[in-house]
Amino acid sequence: MWLWNKIKQLAISFKAGVVTLRYPFEPRPAPEGFRGQPLWDHAKCIGCAGCASHCPARTIFLRDICQELRILLYDSSRCTYCGRCADLCPEKAITMSDRFELATDNRQDITQTIELFMMTCQRCGRCYDLEIKNYIDRLSALGYRYDCLEARKVIRRSTAEFSPDELEKTVTYERPGRLEK
Amino acid sequence: MSRAEKLRRWLEKELGGNLISAETPFPGRLFIDLKREALTAAASGLMNQGARYQMGIGYDARKDGRGFGLVHTFAFDRDSLLVALRTFAPGDNPEFDSLTPFIPGAGWSEREYQDLLGLKFRNLSDRKRLVLSDDWPEGIYPLRREVPHDLMPPAAEEVAFRLEEAPPGTSIIPFGPFHASLHEPAHFSVYVDGEDIKGCEYRGFMTHRGIEKLAQTELTYNDVPFVAERICGICGSVHAVNYAQAVEAAAGISIPRRAEFIRMVALELERLHSHLLWLGVAGHLIGFDTVFMQAWRIREKIMWLAERLTGNRKTYGLVIIGGVRRDINRESSRDIRSTLEEVDREMQALEKAILKDRTIHRRTRGVGYLSKEETVKWNLVGPVARARGLKIDARRDHPYAAYDEVEFEVPVADSGDVWGTLVVRVKEVYEAIKIINQCLDRLEKLSKNEPLAVELEGPIPAGRQGLSLVEAPRGEAVHFVLTGNENRPERWRVRAPTYPNLQAVPSMLLNNKLADFPIIVGQIDPCISCTDRVLVVENRSGKARLLSRQELENISRAKRSGR
Amino acid sequence: MKVAAVVINLLYFLLLAPFLEGVMRKITARIQSRQGPPLYQPYLDLLKLLGKENLNAAGHPVFRLAPLLALASVLSAIALLPLAGQSSFLAHSSDLMTLIYFLTLGGFSILVGALASGNPFASVGASREMMTIIMLEPVLAMTLILGVVRAGSLGLVSVTEGVSTNRGLSYFLMMAVYLVALQAFVSRQPFDIPEAEVEILEGPYVEYSGPNYALFRYTLNLKRMFYSWLFVAGFLGFMLPGNIILCLVIQTVLILALFVLISVIGATHPRFRMDQALKFYGILLLLALLAVGLGVRGW
Repeated sequence: MWLWNKIKQLAISFKAGVVTLRYPFEPRPAPEGFRGQPLWDHAKCIGCAGCASHCPARTIFLRDICQELRILLYDSSRCTYCGRCADLCPEKAITMSDRFELATDNRQDITQTIELFMMTCQRCGRCYDLEIKNYIDRLSALGYRYDCLEARKVIRRSTAEFSPDELEKTVTYERPGRLEK
Repeated sequence: MSRAEKLRRWLEKELGGNLISAETPFPGRLFIDLKREALTAAASGLMNQGARYQMGIGYDARKDGRGFGLVHTFAFDRDSLLVALRTFAPGDNPEFDSLTPFIPGAGWSEREYQDLLGLKFRNLSDRKRLVLSDDWPEGIYPLRREVPHDLMPPAAEEVAFRLEEAPPGTSIIPFGPFHASLHEPAHFSVYVDGEDIKGCEYRGFMTHRGIEKLAQTELTYNDVPFVAERICGICGSVHAVNYAQAVEAAAGISIPRRAEFIRMVALELERLHSHLLWLGVAGHLIGFDTVFMQAWRIREKIMWLAERLTGNRKTYGLVIIGGVRRDINRESSRDIRSTLEEVDREMQALEKAILKDRTIHRRTRGVGYLSKEETVKWNLVGPVARARGLKIDARRDHPYAAYDEVEFEVPVADSGDVWGTLVVRVKEVYEAIKIINQCLDRLEKLSKNEPLAVELEGPIPAGRQGLSLVEAPRGEAVHFVLTGNENRPERWRVRAPTYPNLQAVPSMLLNNKLADFPIIVGQIDPCISCTDRVLVVENRSGKARLLSRQELENISRAKRSGR
Repeated sequence: MKVAAVVINLLYFLLLAPFLEGVMRKITARIQSRQGPPLYQPYLDLLKLLGKENLNAAGHPVFRLAPLLALASVLSAIALLPLAGQSSFLAHSSDLMTLIYFLTLGGFSILVGALASGNPFASVGASREMMTIIMLEPVLAMTLILGVVRAGSLGLVSVTEGVSTNRGLSYFLMMAVYLVALQAFVSRQPFDIPEAEVEILEGPYVEYSGPNYALFRYTLNLKRMFYSWLFVAGFLGFMLPGNIILCLVIQTVLILALFVLISVIGATHPRFRMDQALKFYGILLLLALLAVGLGVRGW
């Protein structure tokens, strides 16, 4: 009775065989529809902030650096991968990828930042997405002219014509502390 | 005449002018407003008529000039009726009568609001802190409106919870705050005489995350389901569905049929997953690791299924207010069926091997016994109650979603010990499989074009109460929502099944062997994080200080010699 | 040659003991449908533990000495063994009683270390360990006494050979008793009660870490191998050939087979409670006494 029971237990075990995977050595791809790391598409994003205002974990931030420049920051460390942002994005600029091996010792590896160049609405004064999708045209657009890209510094304010004062400000400009890592 | 109608008449007769109103905004619920003086009379009257106490909810209504609100909810399981008794006390004198003299299970709820809202309870015997951490300053009540959600008072040194002294002739074995058999922080200070347990004291609530406060101050209605899921690592959908149901009930939203069945599939998958998980853990707790691994091997199939269905190994991210986010189409329905068939087959083999194992009988029979009377007294719920001959199941007694349209059994055992809970849980696995298959049948017949969620028309009106039940794998989970302005609930209260069950653990432990401690605590499948969900920020606040190794060693040595 | 036997004894045990734990873990893993760690994992574990900082968590010299004493006593016992039927150099100045002394000293040092640590879990573990020793050391002694009865001498070589000289009723009864008790000697389920991880967190060893713990682990491995060896050399001694190398190889294979059996039993049983186990041990003890009685009558 006891022995028979034990043999049955062993039979269950051996019938199943070895089920654990040699995981890090043999990759296991995520299934279709998996919600992994969300990825932002720079070209599609219009900076509407829909994702930021609906993120349950409050892990997407939007900051207007100046009238023309809006920065979207996604801080993955607190993300719950619910995919709410991808659902709500009107331009489908966010896709939930199948990446899930996100462990890192550097937070920057999983942080995404997008700098969006916005136009100012003549009626309400708030900004909206620049309609120029061509990057070369963007470079010549208003608000981009004095930026110091190497130092990742941007001007506070744009002017219609070149002004040395604004350039000076750009070079000496310090970003707000919260965005600096 | 329905039970609700009878109760209303009885209350009118009994309380007279103390009854303010009694409403049934939707079937199966009775919301009663009382004057403070009549609380004891009404509650004891309800208990005498066979009610089961569920929970207390305190909230800050001073903004409306009504002081502090206190709601006690009761269930009439035979009549599918939930009753909520609401009373108010003025802000400057928030004192209520305690229900503990005749409902011992109300003790935790009352102590919770004593801590969080500064309510006072007459005749409450145990006035120790329950929820707040030991170094939380006196006089700050975190659930009050004026306290910000991110308040972080300075940490106090040298404050410790004062545990009782061991009774004479016994010594204390500290199970916790971290112990291999508990998996989550909780502290049982167990009094032992040799190897016999002579009593125990519980100190928990060490993992508060402030979820309820967060929902009331920061989140919006549709953010909450995604946070509610994170209350528990196992019954995620339970809390999300439960919250959504409470809001839907309060706002009068009816969700599409398709969504109802999809929610049911998610809930039952979770039950399968949870029961298999428990079976494994139970095996581990009695030192039988092969059961642990084999049960989890079967469970893994369900997790992979959940990954394919919902995009996450846990059934997370499925529920929003008004419906669900993902469909179950024909293909995934076939997938579910084939997986379930496999699980069913494997489970039957495992069941035969386990339930007939005499060595397992020796470790579970007669262990952690609690009589049926005690079970009723402590308002136990779920498999723990069903193993003690109490036939209660929210799916059958208070049908939600479409549970009244599917057929299933409620397994009951009357051995009253760990063995009983084991049998009940194993049997429930098959019932869950049965329910999922029925849901899939219905889903396949429903039109595919039906929307998955209803569009909300306009804001959800403020000031409405919603009370919802979901039979979580561990027992009934209760959510109470009071709708508010600013697109967020005014008050959201979660009562996980572990909340009542844990209160009865000291009685179950009594006169058992020390070696059985893990399995006795394990039989209720304690989910400490579910129970601890409320409150503000971290327990130990802010200042990080690096200790050198020597310092650390000295501290731990000093602690030990101090004992 | 006889001096070399001591060295060979020690090397054989020291090198093989962790490997046997690896076998145990692998078999257990297979029964649990897992891949399991590689067979050489216990060596790495020991090396890693030995490389850590040595903490004296209790701040008591006894705490520090206990693991050393435990390892030393088990190694002393091993040095005496007539491995492959070859009497060791030390066997001249020792006999069966010396062996039992050393084994008891090993168990005793675990107790002392546990009690010195002052941890409540360790003291529960120590009391359980103590009960196990009290109930089970006699079973071991009875087995050897059966050999003494047969051989009429206390010398280790004659005792181990004596156990299997006359394979009558007492032989089989004692073999069955020893096999069951072996599970407790090597502290695997259902009798790993003193260490019970989920109940009392490895009991006596709860405060030990780093090199101290490594020594205990090594002691445990050696003890397990010792008790299995004793079964092979005692009960199956009649099967072993005279050729030393061949004898060693066959012994090793038999010990491996025994470890497979131990792992299978360990993996298919829950842990007993102490009160249940004590009843079990009591029966074992009575049966062992009966076997010796039968042996004296020559059955």
